[in-house]
Amino acid sequence: MNKTISLVAALMMVSSSVAAQSFDDAFNAQRAMYGKGHSFTFEGQTYTTDHPEEVAAAVEANAENAAKLLAAAKDQHAQVVALDFDWTLTKKLLKASAKALAGGDFRKSMDISAQAQYHARMGMAQYHQSQKEWVMAVPE
Amino acid sequence: MKIIKSMLVGASLALVASVSHAASSGNTLATVDPEADRLALQSYFQKRFPKVAVSDYVNGIYALDAPSREQWQEIEEFPPYEFDIEEGEELFNTAFANGKSYADCFANGGEGIRQNFPRWDEAQGQVVTLELAINQCRESNGEKALGWKKGKIAKISAYMASTSRDNVFDVQIPNDAAKAAYLDGKQSFYARRGQLNMSCASCHVAGANILIRADLPGPTLGHVTHFPVFRSKWGELGTLQRRYGGCQKNVRGTPQKTQGEKFRNLEFFQTYMSNGLVVNGPGARK
Amino acid sequence: MRKNIIKHALLGLALIGASSVTLADYSADDIAKGKALYLNKKKGNCIACHMIPDADAKLPGNQGPPLLAMKARFPDSTKLRAQIWDATVRNPLSIMPPFGRHWILSEAEIDALIAYLYEY
Repeated sequence: MNKTISLVAALMMVSSSVAAQSFDDAFNAQRAMYGKGHSFTFEGQTYTTDHPEEVAAAVEANAENAAKLLAAAKDQHAQVVALDFDWTLTKKLLKASAKALAGGDFRKSMDISAQAQYHARMGMAQYHQSQKEWVMAVPE
Repeated sequence: MKIIKSMLVGASLALVASVSHAASSGNTLATVDPEADRLALQSYFQKRFPKVAVSDYVNGIYALDAPSREQWQEIEEFPPYEFDIEEGEELFNTAFANGKSYADCFANGGEGIRQNFPRWDEAQGQVVTLELAINQCRESNGEKALGWKKGKIAKISAYMASTSRDNVFDVQIPNDAAKAAYLDGKQSFYARRGQLNMSCASCHVAGANILIRADLPGPTLGHVTHFPVFRSKWGELGTLQRRYGGCQKNVRGTPQKTQGEKFRNLEFFQTYMSNGLVVNGPGARK
Repeated sequence: MRKNIIKHALLGLALIGASSVTLADYSADDIAKGKALYLNKKKGNCIACHMIPDADAKLPGNQGPPLLAMKARFPDSTKLRAQIWDATVRNPLSIMPPFGRHWILSEAEIDALIAYLYEY
């Protein structure tokens, strides 16, 4: 009896965990509907719809912070290049960010770096997703 | 604890289920069935375009779209690639510094063999495309390799295709290593990439013959048979892998390496899909 | 095929027309920006796949459905926004690029695009 109950409970938990959204899905759904700067709750916690890269860029605009952000974006970009899944725009953004940084426009540089780093992260996500999902597109 | 254990059992059961589902559709090395894939692709297009004979797919989009077929037939009356074939023939017949020539590198003196490429080369352990074979021939005779995408290599390839016209594509997958290369190419074909998040299949299977602005993407069945092509947009002849790179840039992804393993495997898969169709390269395209 | 889609869209319009629809007001500036994005090949390039009954949107593609009766089809602007942001959520095989998820357009650009789409 005990066993049955725990099995049922386990199955229910499994099915509910399958049905429940992951944080990323919940985040994306909220961002998709409301854009950035919107608050939402997920499993009792409050979050905003800002990308981590945007949060990291929302600090004082100065040379040090801009350089740090650009380095982080380049690092993430190198990882997606290693997977052979980088996007063409990202390279241009990295160049534009470096140029803005050199020209002393730190805010601009930091905002562009945030986008470039986000692109690189999404390129990696795309790689992993397409490894799993390509089969869906094959005609049966 | 017990709950956790049962959950793990549940999770592993779910995993097994998802794996066996993948297996049934033939997308693992153990289960992938190239011949079933080829027939499934043919029947996909036959269902969508029941009036079009499979053999007509060598004409690409012109098999499906009557208005552009007319324009294209006018172009083919005075083929823009005619001089390229002549130049290709000259290049093909010009001896290397060591006195040997291309004819010495290929079966049947290089005549009428396009339909056997790309081929799995057991000794090299890799897919060899016609262009790779051309450059390997040069290098083994002490000549420098040619650029991959256009110019001389495309002309030589065009000439070799022209001597193979109406021969039936017959790409062979002789063993598991070749099958793995095929599967890799198949995955590349169906995997989304680039910022626009599209796969080859997005446009050339599901999106075939549906307008993207004023352009109609061609069906992938018969896609490779007419390469290399003289493309109006290029104003010159180009190889299949030149087009691959262009497509990847169009979806805003950094193109993969021309004649690298990924592109050769993709060409292997794509050409296998056109087995049974005839060589009609070089061709003219928009 | 296209006719059918239009018919369904109009039917939807007729059905929903009765219920009150509240939509935020969009500025002329947003609408103009959205139109430019719709037509710009390097930006939204929506015209590549969707027809819209705007005389300036010539030679549209038809990979996607025509964009008609938008207020009726999307009385809730967040649903339309989500569709532009990532169409693969509703249809995993959609050819439509995820304009928000892949940051092809900025969030402000997506809002401007919505302003334009609601004109039709």
